[in-house]
Order: sequence, then C-alpha cells, then structure tokens
Amino acid sequence: MYRYDEFDHEVVQSRVKQFTAQVERRLDGRLTEAQFRPLRLMNGLYLQLHAYMLRVAVPYGTLSSKQMRQLAMIADKYDRGYGHITTRQNVQFNWPELTDVPDILQDLADVEMHGFQTSGNCIRNVTSDPYAGATAEEIEDPRPTAELLRQWSTLHPEFAFLPRKFKIAVVASKTDRAVIRAHDIGIEIVKNEAGEVGYHIIVGGGLGRTPIIGQTLRAFLPREELLPYLEATLRVYNRYGRRDNKYKARIKILVTETGIEEFTKQVEDEYATLEPLDIAVSPEEVARITAYFADPEFEKLPAHNDSYKAKLLDDKDFALWAENNLAEHKQDGYAIVNISLKPLDLAPGDITAEQMRAVADLADEYSFSEIRTTHQQNIVLPHVKKSDLYALYEELKKVKLAADNIGLISDIICCPGMDFCALATARSIPVSQAIAQRFSDPARQRAIGEMQIKISGCINACGHHHVGHIGILGLEKAGVEFYQVKLGGDASENAAVGKVTGPGFSQEELVDGIERLVDYYLEVREDEERFIDSFNRLGMAPFKEALYAA
Amino acid sequence: MSTLKHKGKGPQSLTANELREGMNVWLTEDFNWSRKYSDALQTEDESVIEKMQVKGEADENENLVVGVYFIDVEPDTGLPVRYREKFRVKGPSYDTADELGLQKVK
Repeated sequence: MYRYDEFDHEVVQSRVKQFTAQVERRLDGRLTEAQFRPLRLMNGLYLQLHAYMLRVAVPYGTLSSKQMRQLAMIADKYDRGYGHITTRQNVQFNWPELTDVPDILQDLADVEMHGFQTSGNCIRNVTSDPYAGATAEEIEDPRPTAELLRQWSTLHPEFAFLPRKFKIAVVASKTDRAVIRAHDIGIEIVKNEAGEVGYHIIVGGGLGRTPIIGQTLRAFLPREELLPYLEATLRVYNRYGRRDNKYKARIKILVTETGIEEFTKQVEDEYATLEPLDIAVSPEEVARITAYFADPEFEKLPAHNDSYKAKLLDDKDFALWAENNLAEHKQDGYAIVNISLKPLDLAPGDITAEQMRAVADLADEYSFSEIRTTHQQNIVLPHVKKSDLYALYEELKKVKLAADNIGLISDIICCPGMDFCALATARSIPVSQAIAQRFSDPARQRAIGEMQIKISGCINACGHHHVGHIGILGLEKAGVEFYQVKLGGDASENAAVGKVTGPGFSQEELVDGIERLVDYYLEVREDEERFIDSFNRLGMAPFKEALYAA
Repeated sequence: MSTLKHKGKGPQSLTANELREGMNVWLTEDFNWSRKYSDALQTEDESVIEKMQVKGEADENENLVVGVYFIDVEPDTGLPVRYREKFRVKGPSYDTADELGLQKVK
C-alpha cells in the first residue's frame, strides 16, 4: 500500500493544526458561521439534518488494518459506535461534535487519513476498482494511477474552486466495478494495438438530477500524457462551466451543451498550449509510486485446494457464501472475499466499531492487512488463501458479517436519506429494509440471481438509482413520502440510465410492485438471463404492466 | 419554511443547531434552547416573534447556536408543517446505534 511521503505527512499535519485553530476561532466568535462553513467543508465536516457529519476520505477505497482499527476507535470514542461506507468508497460518521473534530482529525492524521476534498467544488476523492491488484482481469493495478491523481489533485490551487464538484474513477478491467461512465471523468486503463498501456478517457458522465452516461474524450491517451491532458480538460471546464446555476454547473452539462466534438476540440486546443513536461510525472516517480503497490508475498499454491473443496461439500451455508461472496484471484490458491454490509436487519453500508476491529484483525490474519471499501457499500479482503476461507467465514459469522448476498436482490445501494441527510426528500433506509425483508428467503434470492436495486432519498442520486436495474427515488408531496421507480439502469461497463415507469408508490405499494416485477421476470426469463437482460430483451411495457398490476 | 426573517404563516417556532454539539434545538417559552421539540415556544403573536428573532440572532452572535430559522407550525397538531421539519423533531426513524444499543465510549 502507498505510504505517505514527507510532503503528504506535512500537509495533513498542518491541516490538523489549521483546523484546530479555526474551530477555536469559531467557538470564541472570531470566525462567523459564514466564514467557518467553507473551512469545515474543506475537511469533510457537514451540518446535516440532526447533527454534524464527518466524511473521511478513503483514497481509491484502500484501507490498511491499522487505519480500519483507528476508524473503529473514532466510532467508539467520538461517535455512536458505528460508521457508514458511502457510494464513493468513503467513511462517514453521523454524530460527531464540533469540539471533538480537531482530535478526530489528529487521530486520522496519525494513520495517514483526513477529510480533504470530500466536500466542495474541487476534485473529490478518486475512486477505483475494489479488486485492484487482485483480479486477473486487469491490465495492471489501477491504484498507482489513482494515487498519482490523488497527489496531483490534492490542494491543486487552480482546481480548488471549480464550477462544481468533480469526481474521477479509474479501472483497469473491462468489467467496470467503479461506475466510471457515471463520473465527471472516468478512466479505463487499456492497451492499444501495439500493446502499449494507456488510458481511455471518458468525460461528462454523472447522476444527480440530470443523469448522463459519459462519452469518450480520447480512446487512447499515452500513459505519460495523463496529467497534462486532465489538466487541459479541467481548465476548459473551469473556464466554460456554468457558475450561474449550480444545477447546470457539472461538466456533464457543459459537454452536453457544447457537444462532445467541440468539447474535445477545446480540450485538444488547450492541451496544445501546455508544456506537458511541466506537469507530467517522470517515469522514475511513476515507478516509485507503483512500487508501493507491489504484490504482497503470495505463496506458490496449487489452483485448487482440497480442504477448501471438502468444506464446500461439508457445510452448505459456507458453500452458498462462497458461491456469492468470492471472486477469482489472479494468484493460484487465493480468492477475493467480499464482506457484505447488507444484513437483512441493518442499514446498507453501516458497520459497527466491533465489526471494524474484527475486519482489521481478519485482514491481518488472512489478507496481508489489506482492506477495500466498495461503491456497493461493502468491504473486500483482496488476498485470502483458499485454505483459509473456511476459518475466515467462521470468524465473520461471529460478528454477523457473513451475509451471503453479494450481487443479489438484498445487496441494495442506499443513501442515508431523510433519516440523516439535510438534502433528502424521503427516507431510503426503511425502504431498503422492507425490500430485503420481502425477499429474505435465500433460495428465492438465488433463484432471482444478479439484481441491482439502488435507492436514493432525493434527486441528487447519491444512492445511484439512475443506474439500478431497479432504481428507486424517494420524494415527498404534502407530507407524504412516495417512491418513483426506474427500470433498465446499468452501472456496469454497459452503463445505461434507467427509464421512469410512471406515477410513484407508497412504500407498501412499492414493495408489492417490485415483487410483481420480479415474479414476472422469473416467468419470462430465458436460460440464465439476468433481470436486466430480460428487461433489455422485452422492453419497458410488460415490466411496467407487472409493476402497476395491482 | 420561514427564514430567520420571519415571513411564515400561522404559529411559528424558532429552531437551530447547537454550535458545539450540532444537535437540533428549539427556542423555549423561557427563551432558552431545548433539544426537545415539546418544549418549543409556539406563537402567532408578532411582538413575541420579533423578540424570538432578536434572541435567535443574539445567540448566533454569541456562538451558542448556528443556522437559526423560523418554522411554520400546524395549529391543530402543534407539529411542524414541513415534512423535513417533522423529521428533525422526531430524529432518525432508523439509526444503527439505536438498533444495536451502541453509544459513545468516552
């Protein structure tokens, strides 16, 4: 894993000192709220519906066991004993007190963490594939590129006050586990015909109130041109992005209104004016960063493990967990383990301090101390020996982290909604719980197969409802919550925005409607077709009829 | 929702967040702040509303509270009119800490 250099260390420690003094000045009145608000937001501190909320950056979703233990300590000491994994792989605490935040930031800084750029109109925390460095699918580990972007974008003076926030995601596999096409800039690491590694740059994607799938800005960008080219792209956005209307200020609006061809020309023209060598990073520096992400010392093991196979036959529950929660590892004898944070009775993405400590201990024991957070609001242990899987599973059961529903209908993405968020218009957590309960039968979940339900409590779409196979948007009218349904969204490499079905439902009607929808799918699906495949084959009309057939 | 510059209709209450701890509070009949909405002063009397506004601004200037604003109150139920404000009164309908009996360990 990347270790902060002296510069990183100095910046984070200085920020803690600055913010500590700023809080003191706020408390004694030398700073007004209007003056203090942008300063606290620069450190991830929001004032939400009921209390402050602190968002902690988890760069490209990579955490060490030490960092996870520190998050557990913070959850216990300063919050209410739990944290929440967000759809941008960060961690949020829902109940910190302002007077404690300087100490929290110091505790975070002690393990190389902070809340920089988790708020505000800047380049936000860069996200990536939670299987990075572990999956055989990838061309290379995307984390060195993500780390390079983190260093470039951290406190970048020219891009600290963009027209609006700016989100970047990086993957290196054809399988998109970071929703790159719904980001301001999505980066796919690719090889050209000559076998050279470079970048496919996608621009202008986003969710929110105007969902748009990103378009190709450059099909192949040579590796050394990445930072200068992004610099040119951000300059164009900074110059032409709207500042008069925050709802039209994201780059997706600029790209759509300008047209991708003209926007590309503007970027290329700007790029031509740059002195790329002033911005580009030397191969030596890239190599230095990449070295931090070298593979751990994997043992040479056979691809198959007899004890693991025997346990699969012995223990049916373990076999079901393994079927859903494991992914293929690049190294023979290892597996990628997904830990579901979607138990039937708790909020999606929430993890208690006790569970955080357990995950940290298990990462030390079984996964080279490495942990990942996912945009699906789950956790990954990236490198587990197959021979250790059963022991790991037994330990996960002890802390109620052995839910075997990864990718199934109860693995729901869900924003905090009206229960916590100041922007929300309706609750989302109770809806996710009601759906998960309705489909709680494990056999039924498996029969349904891969299904992505995503729920947002307002049009800002933090719950990614636009790209859910079934997307749910919570709204409110005259004091009554209702839920609009979208169908046919896709967060994968085949990214698509779902279409609105029609009038909204009450929560009870919604769950019944989704059940009818799912039953209809089970009736009409062909072979191994997933819900989204059946929907794409048959179109909206029959699914809509099933949804509204009360 | 009214802003601090009172323009609302019907009974009004004044709400804010504690600066230090961040929790929601409402102005009480004795012009203190309470975390319990049941303690909130509700009035249609313009002269009282004016005094509430002065108190809110003063306490904001004294760095006791932040984000002070008036809310409209339903005359028959005494609850806030806006759905969002009803939620601020009730607190989260779901919180993992409540669900599992977790709390701060100081």
